[in-house]
Amino acid sequence: MTNPRETGVVGHGDHTHGAPGAPDPHAPIETAAGEPDYFDVLHQAIRELLVDKGLITADEVRAMVETLDAHRPTLGSALVARAWTDPDFKERLLADGTAAIEEFGIDNYDGTRLIVLEQTPEVHNLVVCTLCSCYPRPVLGLPPDWYKSRPYRARAVRAPRALLREFGTEVAQDVTIRVHDSNANMRYLILPMRPAGTEGMSEEELAALVTRDTMIGVTTPRLP
Amino acid sequence: MATKRDMIVRPAHDLGGLPAGPVVPSDHEMTPFEKSCHALLNVLAAHKLVNTEEKRRGVEDLGAEIIGDLTYYERWAVSASKVLIEKGVITSEELGARMNEIRDRLTEAAA
Repeated sequence: MTNPRETGVVGHGDHTHGAPGAPDPHAPIETAAGEPDYFDVLHQAIRELLVDKGLITADEVRAMVETLDAHRPTLGSALVARAWTDPDFKERLLADGTAAIEEFGIDNYDGTRLIVLEQTPEVHNLVVCTLCSCYPRPVLGLPPDWYKSRPYRARAVRAPRALLREFGTEVAQDVTIRVHDSNANMRYLILPMRPAGTEGMSEEELAALVTRDTMIGVTTPRLP
Repeated sequence: MATKRDMIVRPAHDLGGLPAGPVVPSDHEMTPFEKSCHALLNVLAAHKLVNTEEKRRGVEDLGAEIIGDLTYYERWAVSASKVLIEKGVITSEELGARMNEIRDRLTEAAA
């Protein structure tokens, strides 16, 4: 890993900034010369060709952008809060995650199988995709950059306890850490433990405690 | 520097267990290109034109150097184009011609 203090190069996981002469990956699509961005043109050309061939429609792509916008970690938070307050639902969620999120009204738009894993006093679960970026998008939205980054993917399966410490999560030595490597067809969601002292809270108040990172397994819910 | 053996037994995407530095808690808002590219690839998967494994294999085939230089969605766009050409869904000639058309259109609109 390059040290940004020495080189000015900043790693964003799947790409870097600041190398001498390197273009900024977050720069606007139009380049300084006014030449349209190659990759922007490429993806538009693919879309137009397939629309012309009648294989996809432009409306489907537009609708999918709206779907991506609509699926945010708050869906997962609401799901967890329901599981905390409804033991029967929790049982169904752990038995068949895919069926339970559909019952809850979440559109499982990418057709992947969802497996929900429960944190317990004995076992701390952690989710990674070592090969790429597989993630439970219907319930958590799109993954953060660090989830797709080399350090996270490389180290989650080798040194999870040290990795979790970097997220401020201390897992006791007598607690087993189980790391789950996602793939194209099978995605994992973590069901965190309900914190003590939340007995009087409503489902909405509980959902507010359930952050995205607690459902990846890198942190645990905290009372405000 | 990876040895020749490493390059064969450990393709560029296969990172599990390798040494690496600390996780930088990075994230960014998606650009319009990124969102549109993601939506397109989801639609391609829904129609079984390019599924997730094919997309990933298309990225891996770019090789470590290009994978390192391109951003995440740049890799997706290139992978989709290569997989669609391989499968005979589109030809490289029609893709190149359409890219030229779009480039002309965008340049005209900007002028």
